[in-house]
Amino acid sequence: MTLAFQNLRKQYGDVVAIDDVSANFAPGMIHGIIGPNGAGKSTLINMTAGSYTVSGGSISLDGKRLVRLKKYEIANSGVSRTYQNIRLFDQMTALENLEVCFYPREVAGTLKEVLWPPYASARHARRREKCLEILRFFDLQGYADAEAGSLPYGRQRMLEIARALVCNPRVLLLDEPAAGLNHHETTELTAKLAALRSPERVMIVVEHDMDLVMTLCDNIIVMHHGKLLFHGTPAEVQASSDVQLAYLGTANDIDDIRAAAQDRRAQLGIRARRRS
Amino acid sequence: MSVTGTLYQARPRSSRVLSFLLLGLAVALIAATPFLPNYHVRVINSLLIYILLGIGLNIVIGYAGLLDLGFVAFYAVGAYSYALLASPQLGLHLPFLLILAVAAMLGALTGILLGIPVLRLRGDYLAIVTLGFGEIIRIIVNNLDWLTGGPKGIARLDKASFAGIEMARPIEIFWLLLVTVVVVGTVVWRLERSILGKGWAAIREDQDAARGIGINTTNAKLAAFATSATIGSIAGVIFAASQRFVSPESFTLQESILIVLVIVIGGIGNILGIVVGAAILILLPEVLRQFAEWRILFLGLLMIFLIIVRPGGIVPRSFGPDKLIRGLFGK
Repeated sequence: MTLAFQNLRKQYGDVVAIDDVSANFAPGMIHGIIGPNGAGKSTLINMTAGSYTVSGGSISLDGKRLVRLKKYEIANSGVSRTYQNIRLFDQMTALENLEVCFYPREVAGTLKEVLWPPYASARHARRREKCLEILRFFDLQGYADAEAGSLPYGRQRMLEIARALVCNPRVLLLDEPAAGLNHHETTELTAKLAALRSPERVMIVVEHDMDLVMTLCDNIIVMHHGKLLFHGTPAEVQASSDVQLAYLGTANDIDDIRAAAQDRRAQLGIRARRRS
Repeated sequence: MSVTGTLYQARPRSSRVLSFLLLGLAVALIAATPFLPNYHVRVINSLLIYILLGIGLNIVIGYAGLLDLGFVAFYAVGAYSYALLASPQLGLHLPFLLILAVAAMLGALTGILLGIPVLRLRGDYLAIVTLGFGEIIRIIVNNLDWLTGGPKGIARLDKASFAGIEMARPIEIFWLLLVTVVVVGTVVWRLERSILGKGWAAIREDQDAARGIGINTTNAKLAAFATSATIGSIAGVIFAASQRFVSPESFTLQESILIVLVIVIGGIGNILGIVVGAAILILLPEVLRQFAEWRILFLGLLMIFLIIVRPGGIVPRSFGPDKLIRGLFGK
């Protein structure tokens, strides 16, 4: 019962974006993927969800290969995701954004739904109830009938996670869920995500907010230049000198950066701020 | 659009008054039609046909967000189905209802045939390809002399009859059309509210995210094309039965564009909007008949005006049939 990457590879022409990544993601845990910009974090998410094709290797969920499947088939196998740039159905209400997730399971009954009103109202009521419950969990019930695109940014982030949860996914992929959120909202998000941990669910969070990652995740993968650099618990990651090197460079590097910055300021005629 | 939406929500009484006014107007118009001269009844019939066409095309454009400029092809499929199966042309005289069923299936089939090659296209590209498709059908009909009579068309079509009642006079066609519009309108409205309708809306908003929640966009789009084409074809059958003559001239690109305008001016994605759009685009030219040379200019100005004042169409998406019903029955 795991999500597994095996020798995963992604190539754009000559550029290797993901290079031979193998990892297992156990259910019941929250896995973080971190790394500098361009390390391939989002690419991993996009390949898992079927948004990008895979150049080599395999992705499997409980032994079932996902690589050859179409994006909607991957979604129907239990993989749900959110996007780095929020992608809601803007002109639909918040409630409808969730209700539409019943499509794969219920579309076969459309004819009956159209021709037999009692059946339709029973279905509508059941969908509505289930979706309102999820909205309440995210404190979004007040926005149920508002157009998704009109919600405040932070609420939109929450709504997108809510949408990803409607089908009770076995794999939940969150691509930078805290991006653009303020401190208060991030705290709220961390609490909600922690509550979503479930024994059957694999949760993967790609995130730049280190507080969130270190608080929330049980396991962290550090990506660097498309390679898997380090794999361990938050404490191990924080202690690893390799990770520090990848993120910050060596002490000499930092001195170089400072010197370069000073030169540049001098060139532009910007004086260093003096403390008064 | 959202601004007017909240206005209606904030003032349920005005929405209630509006609902009763609209219903009263519709009932009065329907009740008065039998007493109008034939010419006026014909105009109302043509209005109903455009409402029917608008409802059909709106599934693809308004619900699924796919700009189809070749809708008239399905209208032609229906019209020529009737013309070939109920005229001396092939010596066939099948009953009206049977032809209606055959044409509906043929329409769905052509809809899917058009749908398959354009699945990957959106926006402008889709518009151009569907436009080409509409023209292809018209040109085929125009040149297939042995079957369709070419530019001369097919004349002396049978009178439509149903359960022993002949439907040939304008007022009889009016009742036939009215029943069809009400039935088709109800089915389509319920379809819009069904899970398939929500899936179409999701595809319209963000196709890729729609796939991400497990929607098989290929099937959903083909369903939209097929349903829409079926309605176009049904409208074609009734049109042919009412004219008792068909020729390629009725199925030009201009016709497709007129149907798109009905939707755009009335209010995209809203059946009530289509009724309003059709009323304006069909009735206005009749009202302006004295100023024949100026008609197109008037229409053009009206469109520019509307697009500036109400870019989402006259009727907001939020004021749909549900609002109307809620206004009528309280709650």
